[in-house]
Amino acid sequence: MLGLVQSPEVQGSMRAAAFAGGTISRRLLFALAGAAAVSSAFVCVTRPAAAESVLAMHIEEQTSWVQNFNPFDLGGRRQSTMDFVYEPLVIFNDYDSGKPIFRLATGYKFSDDLKSITYTLRDGVKWSDGQPLTSADMKYTLELMLKNPAVDIVGVGESVASVEAPSPTEVKIDLKGVDTHFPESLADFPVVPEHIWKDIKDPLAFKNEKPVGSGPMTEIRRFTPQVYEQCRNPNYWDAADLHVDCLKLPQISGNDQMLALLPQGEMDWIGSFLPEIDKTYVALDKDHNGYWQPPAETIAYEMNLKTNKPGNFEAFNDINFRHAFSLAMDRTSMVDIAGFGYPVVNLHASGLPPRFDSWRNKAAEGDKDVWMTYDIDKANKVLDDAGYKKGADGFRTTPKGQPIAFVIIVPNGWTDWIDAVQIATEGLRKIGVNASVATPEYEQWQKQLLDGSFDAVMNSRPDGPTPFRGYYQTLSTAFAGRIVHADSRYSNPELDKVFDAYRKATTDEERKKLFDQVQMIIADDFPVVPVFNGPTWYQYSSKRFTGWVTKDEPVMNPENHDNNRMRLMHLLRLKPAQ
Amino acid sequence: MRIPLRRLGVYFVAFLFAIIVNFTLPRLMPGSPVDSMIAQLGPRATPAAVEAIKARFGAVEQPVWLQFVDYIKGLATFDLGVSVKYYPQTVTQVLARSAGWTALLVTCAIVFSLCVGVSLGAVAAWRRGGRFDAFVSPFSVVLIAIPPVIIALATLFTFGVTLRWFPVGYAYNPDLDPGFNFTFIGSVFWHAIMPVLTLSPYMIGEFQTTMRSSMISVLGEDYVTMGRAKGLSETAVMFSYAARNAMLPVLTNLALMLGAVFGGSIVTEIVFNYPGLGLTLFTASVARDYPVIQGQLLLMTLATLGANLLVDIIYGIVDPRIREERA
Repeated sequence: MLGLVQSPEVQGSMRAAAFAGGTISRRLLFALAGAAAVSSAFVCVTRPAAAESVLAMHIEEQTSWVQNFNPFDLGGRRQSTMDFVYEPLVIFNDYDSGKPIFRLATGYKFSDDLKSITYTLRDGVKWSDGQPLTSADMKYTLELMLKNPAVDIVGVGESVASVEAPSPTEVKIDLKGVDTHFPESLADFPVVPEHIWKDIKDPLAFKNEKPVGSGPMTEIRRFTPQVYEQCRNPNYWDAADLHVDCLKLPQISGNDQMLALLPQGEMDWIGSFLPEIDKTYVALDKDHNGYWQPPAETIAYEMNLKTNKPGNFEAFNDINFRHAFSLAMDRTSMVDIAGFGYPVVNLHASGLPPRFDSWRNKAAEGDKDVWMTYDIDKANKVLDDAGYKKGADGFRTTPKGQPIAFVIIVPNGWTDWIDAVQIATEGLRKIGVNASVATPEYEQWQKQLLDGSFDAVMNSRPDGPTPFRGYYQTLSTAFAGRIVHADSRYSNPELDKVFDAYRKATTDEERKKLFDQVQMIIADDFPVVPVFNGPTWYQYSSKRFTGWVTKDEPVMNPENHDNNRMRLMHLLRLKPAQ
Repeated sequence: MRIPLRRLGVYFVAFLFAIIVNFTLPRLMPGSPVDSMIAQLGPRATPAAVEAIKARFGAVEQPVWLQFVDYIKGLATFDLGVSVKYYPQTVTQVLARSAGWTALLVTCAIVFSLCVGVSLGAVAAWRRGGRFDAFVSPFSVVLIAIPPVIIALATLFTFGVTLRWFPVGYAYNPDLDPGFNFTFIGSVFWHAIMPVLTLSPYMIGEFQTTMRSSMISVLGEDYVTMGRAKGLSETAVMFSYAARNAMLPVLTNLALMLGAVFGGSIVTEIVFNYPGLGLTLFTASVARDYPVIQGQLLLMTLATLGANLLVDIIYGIVDPRIREERA
């Protein structure tokens, strides 16, 4: 997902850079100078000088705003719908060991047999139209999703059997199987008001232009294709912590526009890729402009372990080959050249992202990480020792004598990723492995990952609030080949057993212990080749607001994108500057 | 001013050809709109949800001939379908909100370039071989050769980002509410300046070149000599006698150029974040939004054909001889 956001922007920046030194025809200059003189009468950029505090933020790239606040329309909803219009039940802070922050819910409790879970809702919470928010609303929303798979955006259809509302503040959910991990899967779940939605015939097609919500910013005061303003919920339950009156979201279609707009200094909270950020952003206003782009999810090379090409199959399923693959990865170049220096190299065989440092199993490091350096000689030796002989063409064959030749696919247009894969294939060719790059369209790329026709790929592993979800969904037999992130089709009964135990674990200590085992197994068996961690996109200006999360106070994921629920807590930290 | 049936027939054939190409082209692109829709859902989508969404956009996965029948039916009833990217908005809604902006840009650019290009061409021809001609005429060829993207980026960088004379995006100041008042219209005008000036150089070059050569041949005509002999002023002879008659090839050229101008407007709108059809087409292509791409191309085709028809009619007005021939 990250690359999708990142790459067109990278292209844009390169285009802009190429013109930085361009020359302009004198004639055009005169013409424009004249026009400027004539039309200067029309320039009147005014900001309403009111006492209210308006926070300008950029969270998504669109060519025109469409008024859609339907939380079930993941593709079409404005990205300020979750959290700001619909308050989450519980937020798990991944920068704080996944600890829950209770919002609409004040707690949840599993039954003794772990087959059901009861959520307690906060007392006295009101919808923005003044009606009370009760367990009936939550029950209604869950049942709406169960009835209409098209609006089931969190996958309750697979885990929930039935829902009851024993009291106005209690919701009891019967699960299809034991899964103590269930509350995390409800992290992206919006509760919608029954009294509004019960009259909606088609819940996916409903645009919800004037949303009635439970979050801090529910009132759509202004909406044009170029900008919209989302203001304070008059009935917000946590109003005491809310010091921002309105969010203002100007339409920005890409990185070029963002770079062009930055000098005006009107943005407060940005989630963009800005090349040479110290020059293009911080230097514009050294006292106020800042950024913090901590490493996010792990990017790894994944081989199709179920490929139908016999030579590749033999190599990919041989741990020596995977170790040699990893030794041929010039991770530093990938980060510096392909990633503009923003990502951070990952040197752990377990591939654990740095943000989950508190989960780190020291026993799964050290000796196990020896395969994570860039060492062509050692890689060659590993392959020589394992019986991969070089042929006349300089390329190696498998110990059984079968040819190895594979293509690493990367979506067209993701320029930074394409560069990284090129660096990878150069390394592989240096150790006599016939690897090349192909750049299918994103949809084709995705299709090949799902139908298993690809050889190898560079892919990301989306994280949940704890590292479990990322590992479970990419490396368990249950998910193998079912989602794009489980493309390696890895299947390890020993690991599955640990995953299963984790899903039944009831205490944090138990989970920690089980996750230690996960790291151990992965580091030993080395199913994928981790290379680096992509950055988080976060830039801020303290000119109008203070309270920003910074690298000196790394208490939460600071990003304002829709995949980070903690952005609500970030908003509640902000105060207008004095 | 009557247009013969044969001429209308040509327009009809062109239209038919356009709608078929229109239908085929987006389908030759790899990937399908449903795939990209599901891609947006990411790992959160369960197989059941994916099935449900596929069912909803089922029309796109029908056999091609059925899609074509639907497409023709839709055209006949002006129902262009529902946008995949901006679901649940209809294609008509999506196009309606952007068509006006492109029309504004293109019209302003054409009028501006016509005035500048034709005057430059006329003067260059009048004083051909002079210093003015020696500079302006080769320069026009240079203008024709520069791709709009270069002019757009250079203009944006210099006047928008570095000098900050002009706004770097939007069709009007986002803080304003659209309305019929001086501030709003002024803001629209102000935001259109850079895009219009970006679109114009190519046309100015074309008009100048065409006008110059056409004017030179007209200058040899007897009525020009006659005008001079009557003792009319230079300007009167130049504009009322020569230039008016030399305009015809310029109009032909204008009709031929419209396609290129629309093409240029796509690039310009993307660079200046101008909410017109070009920017819409670009986003729709990236999102594999066939209905919008089709509707968009259809609209552009209709606009080009319509403009050609208009030029045919204007021809008759400007040159009575053509009217006579046809009658």
